[in-house]
Order: sequence, then C-alpha cells, then structure tokens
Amino acid sequence: MLLADEVATYHPVLSGNPYQPHMARIVRIHKMVDNNHLFTLRFMEDHLAHSFRHQPGQFIMLSVPGAGEMPISISSSPSRPEVLELCVRRVGRVTAALYRLKTNDVLGVRGPYGNGYPMAEIMGNDILLAAGGLGMAPLRSLLWYALDHRDKFNNITLMYGAKRPEDMLFREELLALVDRTDINCLLTVDADPSGAWRNHVGRLPALFDHAKIDPLRTYAAVCGPPVVYKFILQRLLDLGFPKNRILMSLERRMKCGVGKCGHCSIGYNYTCLQGPIFTYWDAINLPEMI
Amino acid sequence: MSKPTVGIFGLTGCAGDQLVILNCEDRLMDIVALLDVRDFLMASSENDTACQLDIALVEGAVTTRRDAARLLAIRQRSKALVALGTCAVWGGVAALDRGQDRARLLDEVYGEGHPDYDSIPAQALHEVVPVDLNITGCPIEKEEFVAAIAALLNGDVPLAVEYAVCTECRMRENNCLLTERGELCCGPLTVAGCGARCPELRIACVGCRGPVDDANSASLVKVFEARGFAPQDIAARLRTFAPQGVTS
Amino acid sequence: MKILKLPKEKLDLFASVVQQFGELHAPVEQDGRYVFKRLTRWSDARLEYDRTILPPKKYFLPPKETLFRYRPGEGFVPHTDGLDQRIILFGVHACDVYAINILDRVFAGKYQDPYFQARRKNIAIIGIDCTPDKQCFCRSMRADFVDHGFDLFFYDTGNYYQALVGTALGDDMVLATGNLFEPVDAADIEAYKQRSIDKRRAFQLDVEIRDLPEIFEMEYQSEMWEELGARCLSCGSCSMVCPTCYCYDVNDDVELGSRAGKRTRSWDSCLFASHALVGSGENFRGTREARIKFRFYHKQRGFVAEYGRPSCVGCGRCTSACPVHIDVVEVIDRLRRVQDVASR
Repeated sequence: MLLADEVATYHPVLSGNPYQPHMARIVRIHKMVDNNHLFTLRFMEDHLAHSFRHQPGQFIMLSVPGAGEMPISISSSPSRPEVLELCVRRVGRVTAALYRLKTNDVLGVRGPYGNGYPMAEIMGNDILLAAGGLGMAPLRSLLWYALDHRDKFNNITLMYGAKRPEDMLFREELLALVDRTDINCLLTVDADPSGAWRNHVGRLPALFDHAKIDPLRTYAAVCGPPVVYKFILQRLLDLGFPKNRILMSLERRMKCGVGKCGHCSIGYNYTCLQGPIFTYWDAINLPEMI
Repeated sequence: MSKPTVGIFGLTGCAGDQLVILNCEDRLMDIVALLDVRDFLMASSENDTACQLDIALVEGAVTTRRDAARLLAIRQRSKALVALGTCAVWGGVAALDRGQDRARLLDEVYGEGHPDYDSIPAQALHEVVPVDLNITGCPIEKEEFVAAIAALLNGDVPLAVEYAVCTECRMRENNCLLTERGELCCGPLTVAGCGARCPELRIACVGCRGPVDDANSASLVKVFEARGFAPQDIAARLRTFAPQGVTS
Repeated sequence: MKILKLPKEKLDLFASVVQQFGELHAPVEQDGRYVFKRLTRWSDARLEYDRTILPPKKYFLPPKETLFRYRPGEGFVPHTDGLDQRIILFGVHACDVYAINILDRVFAGKYQDPYFQARRKNIAIIGIDCTPDKQCFCRSMRADFVDHGFDLFFYDTGNYYQALVGTALGDDMVLATGNLFEPVDAADIEAYKQRSIDKRRAFQLDVEIRDLPEIFEMEYQSEMWEELGARCLSCGSCSMVCPTCYCYDVNDDVELGSRAGKRTRSWDSCLFASHALVGSGENFRGTREARIKFRFYHKQRGFVAEYGRPSCVGCGRCTSACPVHIDVVEVIDRLRRVQDVASR
C-alpha cells in the first residue's frame, strides 16, 4: 500500500537488493584434491574487496553465471581479508559449471550469511576442531582465525581424518602445523597405500588418545559426513562435553540465503539465518537436523 | 571453438519431435549457426552417415531389430546421446502392448500366414543403450528443446523439471478437472514442462510427457476408483505413454 | 479508525472513480469458479464470490518472475519491469488480506525482499466482507477480521457498505469521490455489529488452534503422518493455492550460444522430492511422509515459534484443491483427539 503522497514519487528502488550478486574474479584455482578445488576470489569492486568481512563458519551465495547459485562456506579466515577462499566439491550442475571456469573468469558473490561460530563466547577457552573428509572446509576458517589470534585462545587441537593422504584437504598447510607447538595438529588417514604418510593411520576417533581435552573448558567444532558426527559426537558426550559447547556446521539446500525461499528450514529454523552453525543441543531438539 | 557436430534421427515414432525442431522457426537460424548438423534425414537429402557426432538427438522407440541396430550404431558414433520425446524416453504409445503375446498381435494385425515381420516389444532408448539426457514430451516443447541446446552448448546439463503438471496448472489458475469435474486427469502423476496446455483447454491430462519422479500412482488410482472409474480404464490411461513408468 | 458508509447503489460510481488510482482488478467468474483478473468492465466483478482459485499472493509474489538479467561484462542487472505498476485489488476477503500481512513479515526483516516490497507499495487493496461457506475456518485461525493491511474495507450492512479507511491512500480514494461516502451514526454501528454476529454464526467449521505447538510436538511420531504420506501425490496443488506458502525456487537459464541469461524465481513446494535435496545427493526430507509432516509442522507449529501465530489463515483452498482429500481441519482435529486421549 502506497501512502497517497508517495504515489507520484515512488519508484522501485532495488539498491538494497539482498539478492544482488557482486562480481568477483577468480584469482587462483588450487587443485587440492580430485573434485575438491580451492577457489580464491577477489571482488572486482575495490571497496568490496576491502570492506567485506565475515565470521568463521559463515557462507556466501556463489553465482556461476548462466548455471545458477549455491551456498558455499567460506574457507578463508577473516583475519586474512581481501580475498575469499572457497573449497568447492564438484557434485552437481552448478559446481560442474564452476569447474569449467579458469583463472580470471568472473563469478557472482553475495553475503556473508548465517551465524558463524560464536567467537566471543569461544575466546578464552580451549578449541577442539574435529573434521572428517570435506568437513575441513568450514573449519579451516576457524582454524586460521584462532591461530592468527593465538593469544585469545587457550589450547588448540585439530583432529582431521581422511580416507587416504591424497584425499586430505589443505594437506600441505596442515602438515606444516604438525610440528608447531601452539597447536596439537593430529592428522590421520584410514589407509596409506603409498606408505609415505608420516602421521597417524586409523579412524578419526582414535586421535582422542593423543589429545588432552578438558571438556569443561573446551568448545568443540565438528564437521564431516554423518558417520563422523555419529562417532565424534558420541565420544564428546562420553568425555562429558556440555551439549551447547559442541558446534556443528550443517549443509542444506538453499536458494536465497536470507530466510525467504524456505528450502533450508529445519523445523522452525532456517539454516541460513539461525545456522549453519548449530550447537548439538539445537540439533537434538530440532527434527530432521542431522 | 568448432561447432559441435550433431545428428538427428528417428526410430519408430511419428517424427513429431523432429518436426518440432524444424518448427522452431524464429530460432532455427541460431540453432543452425551454433550446431554443425551433419546427419538429419528428415531435413536434408545429403547426410554424412558415418561421421563422429558430439550430440545425437534420437526420436522414437525401439520396436524392431533394425531400430536396435541403428541405435547401437548411433550410440557408437556419438559422444552424447539425447532421447527426444516420450517414445524415446519412455517407450510411448508403441509400448502399450508390451507383455502381450507378440505372435498373436502380429496375426491379429496382419492376418494369419503373414510374412515374418521384424517386430519386437517396444523399448525406450535407455533400455537398449546408455542415454545421457532425456527431453520428454509428445511432442517435445520448443522452449525446452532450445533451453536444453543452450545449456548443452555451455557444457551444462539442462535443468530438469521435477514437479507434476498440477503445479503448472495451478500456477495458471485453471479450474481443476480432477477435483472440480471428476475427470480422469493424470496431472498429478505427469511431469510438467508443457505449461498444463491441455487442462488450460479443459482437456484432462493424458500423461503424454511420462511420469514425474516419485509419482504416487497407487494413491491417485484409489481416488479414480472412488470416483467410479473402472480399473481397466484407469490402467489403460496410465499405461498409454509410459508403460514402465507408472504402474497401478 | 475512520469509518464511513457508502450507499450500495453508489458502488459502481465509486469503482469508476477509484480507477484513477490504478488498474482495477477484481474477482471474475471462470467456469463457475473465481479468479482475480483485470476488469474490462465493472459489471464483470463478482463481489459475492466464495474464493478465488489462486489467492492475491499472485500479485505480490508472481508464480514466475525474473529477478536479474545477466550479461557478461555487466553482471547481474535487477529486472524491474512491472514493479511500479499501480493496481487496485477490489474485493479481497479478510483471510486473504491477513495472509498478505503474514507474507509482509516473511519478506521484511533484516533482508527485505525489494520485489515483494515494491509491489506491496504499488498495489492497493480494497477489502470486502464475505459469508463463510462449508470450507471456511478463518475465524478459528483468527483471520476473519483484519485491522490493517488494506486501504479500504467494505462491510455489507444491508443498504450500505460500511467502509473502514485503512490508509491515507484509502482516504484519498474516498475524498476523490466527492461526497459519495456518508458519516456513520449509532444505528449504522449497530447494523455492523449485527452483521458480525450473523457472520460468526454462519461458520460451519470450527477448529481449536490453542496448544497447536504442544500438540504438534507430542504427535511428531504419530502414525497419521505415514498414512498421509502414502496418500499425498506431491503434486504441489496445496502449496500453489495457499495464500501464505512462499517457498520459491531460483533458476538461471541462458540464451542460445551465450552465457547471458536471466535468473528466475518460481513458486515451489516443500512437498516436492527435491525440496531438501542437496548437491551431494543427501535428501533431508526424502519421503513423502517427512515432507507432508514438514508442511503441517511448519505452518501450524514452526510459524508460531517464529511469528507468534500459525501461518494458516483458514481459507480452505488447500482442502478443496487436494486431489486425495487431505483436509487441514481433519488433520488438526485428529492430532488433537490423539493428544486429548493421551493426556487423560
């Protein structure tokens, strides 16, 4: 309804259009793992490149021109601004279109969206990051945020498991963390056919034997396929973790990212607004959560 | 970039889908400019019948051993094979008689003592060779075809419609032929994309595009039966275009 | 609120004057049912209609609309055609106005939907009172009366339409007619009250919505969902005709031989198998049972948590549109009965 005095003057103004993608250029494509490339993007508008800020755990909506739009979690840390790093697995038609692009090609980006990890709450505590397979993608933002603000956190433990060494995301940079003393970086693979792997071999939960975790002063950020949630969550509960200190990153279908299109709703929550980071407590209290 | 080489073929069918391609009047010049059509018997008398093809568009069902052999040959010379139209995708009306005694059918049609005709139960293309993409419809929709070609030229898989005719019919605000008039309308089971053309004209959907993913025919059949339709009439309607897709 | 009255025989005149404010749309007959359509002549309007096939939602959130055009080098350019078109929806029922008010809340918030908002600003609403039929349960859903969301609202009190003036634009419409409208007196107010009492008595359906969140929580595992899942055709009819279903899909398509194209959004339904399917192949609501449960859960329970009331307004459209007779009132009643028995 238009107020009478606006009738003559009103024109649709879409400048505040939350669906407006902003163009960004592919700066680098790093082929980390087969069908899991890391895309580095920079906004073409300088002011956006400088001003874009996000929280670890948030996501963007990525447009591949002509193919479509999809939610992608941000893998880079806000402590390293100017560019965005996105770890994208090739699974469907839009990601397939993305994989055909080359350095210097242009994409659309809008965001950041979602609630991210509760950094203010986590600061001053220990952090346990536990990831399986592709679950490292959203956790990597949190990892580097914590390492870049090392004095704000107590003990940092990373447990990451992949099938084989060549399936490990961010392998080189994570291997470089193994010898650091300010983080307990535990990497494991289910199998090592080549025999060149110098870290752990075995299932992810076995890494708990190598970590000293105080459940009452630690926030655990967990991400991975359902099987990872199943075993890690149980282990954390057995250790006595409060359910609201276990943080999960959930994947849902999204068409808008801003709480309108309905696809990502879980019970009465929208993953795009109330998530994608949920506590384990939320998870067990919302239907269809995992 | 060189233009993709294309062949357009018809097996057993009415050639309606090939005709739709030729009827894309306003887009035809664009299509020809973008595709290198090498083999299209319906449109050209000079064809390269042996060259390698990037895309083969194949209409019709496989109803003879000759069809099957042609399809195998097309498959062998093509990178991507697209099933064009309901007959190619689902078997179509030619497959209505599947499961019946073939010899008896031939006797019925041609009389006893007929020559030995090459005739096998009709099959959809995917039952004979691997198919890369389905574009359904009886005939196919121009817009869907052009959109599919546009997507393929970019290397994208065309978008698939994942909902039933009812959805499009409601969007167009038609009176529902099923709930309002009690007609034997297959809209709830049939994949959309046609813009609910028939219900728009007050003609019940006969399911010519084949079933939607996750079609719940058992439930709709109960409704039809409760409305007084005879089971054999319902079964005949559901079987008309996609004998393998919808079972009651 | 400013209340006036319009002699019934002056309604035609009012309609002709009000056209200055926009293109006039009203319910017209289509094979015995009704649809909101642009009027070619006022006599086509059927203000005594029961309900339109599609709710007025179609004006604010069209079944399909282009959001952007994409051109390499230009990026995504918002598509604004038609957003500034001024329309007057004449004859909107209270439940449908209520539903638009609910959509207002969905499309507002931190991320305002500018397409919806632009249309909402440019489309005027003149409401009209109605008589409930056997499918109406708007009173149960507390949506039989609206106190905002319209520019004018007409109530039939016999010889007059009593008019609530909702906005300055509504007031301008009144003023533009000169002295067509008259002030109301005590007798008019009495007539209005009698009209309200008569209307309330006319409801044939009554569904208790108190405790719905509690009931839905308790009956999450009810066997009824399995039965409904077996019946549901996933045809999407209920979502299309629902005045508050707002789920949408977004797709890009390209022009022939180009990467240029457009981004379109179209109505979607949580009953479609693909609604909660993610790229990796996982489907969080893979069964029809899960999907139909979600639809009811979101409308009658989830929305309460989010916005303080169910998003259902009791218009009855989904019930009449469902080919397999899934009836929202029956569903709520059945859940309540199970719950009543369980709580004894």
